[in-house]
Amino acid sequence: MKLHLVGLSHKSAPLEVRECLAPPPEALPTALRQCLDLPGVREALMISTCNRVEVLAATEDQVGQDELAAWLCAGRSLAPERIGEHLYRYQGAEAVSHLFRVASSLDSLVVGEPQILGQIKEAYRAATEAGTTRTVLNRLLHKTFQVAKRVRSETNIGGAAVSISFAAVELAKKIFDSLEGLSALVVGAGEMAELAVEHLMAQGVRRVLVANRTLERAMELARGWGGKAVGLGELGAVLGEVDIVIASTGSPQAVITAKMARAAVKARRGRPLFFIDIAVPRDVEHAVGELDGCYLYDIDDLTSVVEANRAGRAVEAAQAEHIVAEEVVKFTAWLAGLEAVPTISALAAKAEEIRTAELARTLKDLSELSPEQAAALDRLTQALAKKLVHDPIMFIKGASHDKSPDTMRQQLALVRRIFNLEENGGE
Amino acid sequence: MSTTLHWLTLAAYILGSLISMGFLVHQRQGLYRMGMALLWIGFGLHTLALATAWVEGGVLPATSLRQSLDMFSWALMGAMLVINLRLEVKILGALAGPVCVLLLLAASVLPVMPVVKTAAFRSGWIILHIISIMAGYGLLALTCLGGVLYLGQDRALRAKKMGPLFRRLPSLGRLDSLNQASLLAGFLLMTIGLISGAVYAQMFMGSYWRWDPKEVWALITWLMYAAMLHTRLVQGWRGRRGAWLSVAAFAALVITFLGAGLLANGYHSFSSMAELGGPRP
Repeated sequence: MKLHLVGLSHKSAPLEVRECLAPPPEALPTALRQCLDLPGVREALMISTCNRVEVLAATEDQVGQDELAAWLCAGRSLAPERIGEHLYRYQGAEAVSHLFRVASSLDSLVVGEPQILGQIKEAYRAATEAGTTRTVLNRLLHKTFQVAKRVRSETNIGGAAVSISFAAVELAKKIFDSLEGLSALVVGAGEMAELAVEHLMAQGVRRVLVANRTLERAMELARGWGGKAVGLGELGAVLGEVDIVIASTGSPQAVITAKMARAAVKARRGRPLFFIDIAVPRDVEHAVGELDGCYLYDIDDLTSVVEANRAGRAVEAAQAEHIVAEEVVKFTAWLAGLEAVPTISALAAKAEEIRTAELARTLKDLSELSPEQAAALDRLTQALAKKLVHDPIMFIKGASHDKSPDTMRQQLALVRRIFNLEENGGE
Repeated sequence: MSTTLHWLTLAAYILGSLISMGFLVHQRQGLYRMGMALLWIGFGLHTLALATAWVEGGVLPATSLRQSLDMFSWALMGAMLVINLRLEVKILGALAGPVCVLLLLAASVLPVMPVVKTAAFRSGWIILHIISIMAGYGLLALTCLGGVLYLGQDRALRAKKMGPLFRRLPSLGRLDSLNQASLLAGFLLMTIGLISGAVYAQMFMGSYWRWDPKEVWALITWLMYAAMLHTRLVQGWRGRRGAWLSVAAFAALVITFLGAGLLANGYHSFSSMAELGGPRP
């Protein structure tokens, strides 16, 4: 068994190439089964996020990566050569290492962001449902989740606020302690505001109000989050009901004034209000940030917060790389051991076959034996056979642990020749 | 016996505070738990020490500044530990711990006064007066500490840097819970303490209120806390204004506790205590 990983990411390919390669989620099971139809491919898994598309396959020895790469590029809107130049290809330990790094968020656009692990879990779930994973990938993926978890708990890589949404959540936690049960108001719509709301909701924010220039859009967004739509004119009134405000309108002047904010804090009996203003030009009057009980962060504040955290992460990343390297060694040892399994079982099977055949023949000649004597003879032959194959089996196991893959393969072949074991006796 | 316990308490407090401060710097949960465990052990020893002193002396050990500081330290530690069970304001151990250590050290260097053993000191009212006032002081000291931390976190949030201070200080929400809980409980205990004191004064000295400097300051302090509670619950002054108020009110409390007891010449003062055989603190 060999592991191959072929794919591209934000580091190797521009957006339009990544876009054209990403399969729609509903087409994923079909794509995976097609991949399994490639000669020699035994197991397959596909990771597809907005930043990367990768296919991971466990294959028979003779299959190369070219087939995989060709399959990945075929039938896309771009010519295969145009995609091909952006592809990276890894095999064996390199593939394992790459997967571990991706899952631990070391290869992410924003290093340390935690979504990637969820996305890989999702990819794995899709593959198991499509029935395209077995021994090797099951083991590899479970190991991957463990490694990602280890990196997260042993380094502080995820502890730092890694993106603007995360900075916002982190700040909100320092104001409200827990976001459980809080309400948020989104003023205006936009990708970043939506992302921020989703992060807040993942942290426990229960109620979302949406205010927008066009009520239809507001209602549409509110429906998605199970929230309520309000008109821009009602802003002053609803401000007192919410804890977190995310503003991102395209309005040229501020939509939330200091007067509104002051009234809101009063209505809230002094409980604080957190404003996240990601609009340019800004939506919340600067004076709001100076009010007692109001905390205002605009896009520049959030960006500088994120930047400040970035430096500290380099050290953590180095520590994380160390963990990954350690785990790669362990996994490749297991994978190598897997290769020895067919030889070991073939050897044991051969010994048992000879033993039973010879025993049967002998027993036929010695017909006057009592059952006890027959049983003793059976035990004797069992012990003989076991002791004879014990040392060769230990030799094979040792070979798979200590030797390089090539040496191991040579030694396995030698054992097979000595004992005259047929090729491909496994699986 | 009580002296040995006193030194053991001090040792446990010092060690617990140092480890809690180590937690503050390194943010390791193990250090937090170890520090808290030591402070709990110290508090147990402290309780035992005070109980022994009570039994040995025959009266509640609060008849001198030495003993009062000792008791205040006990009350503050107890209030901190109990409140922390619910609210988990993890930074408190590192801040209240050293304060308790200093109070105990101050108590250790002050002269031992002869214990006044009059029947008046054995009254249930005086015991209630002293214990509830002390527990109230401990809780209100926490309110002040919470207020200072609130101001710190408020500043850190407005500085928009997410620096080390920002990461170590508790969230505003948690500090607000701390301030509210300690203020309510502290105010309640202080009120009980003042009422029981007045009842006691009526029983043993013939009048509820005598305009003694300590009484006057206690009234001022009580009024400030009443105002603080009112503005918090009705006007919603839980932010910076509430925090400043808690600091100001605590300053009045310290004057009541120390100033009026040491400097002013009323019957509450420690120096006149022996002659009068009257109550403290």
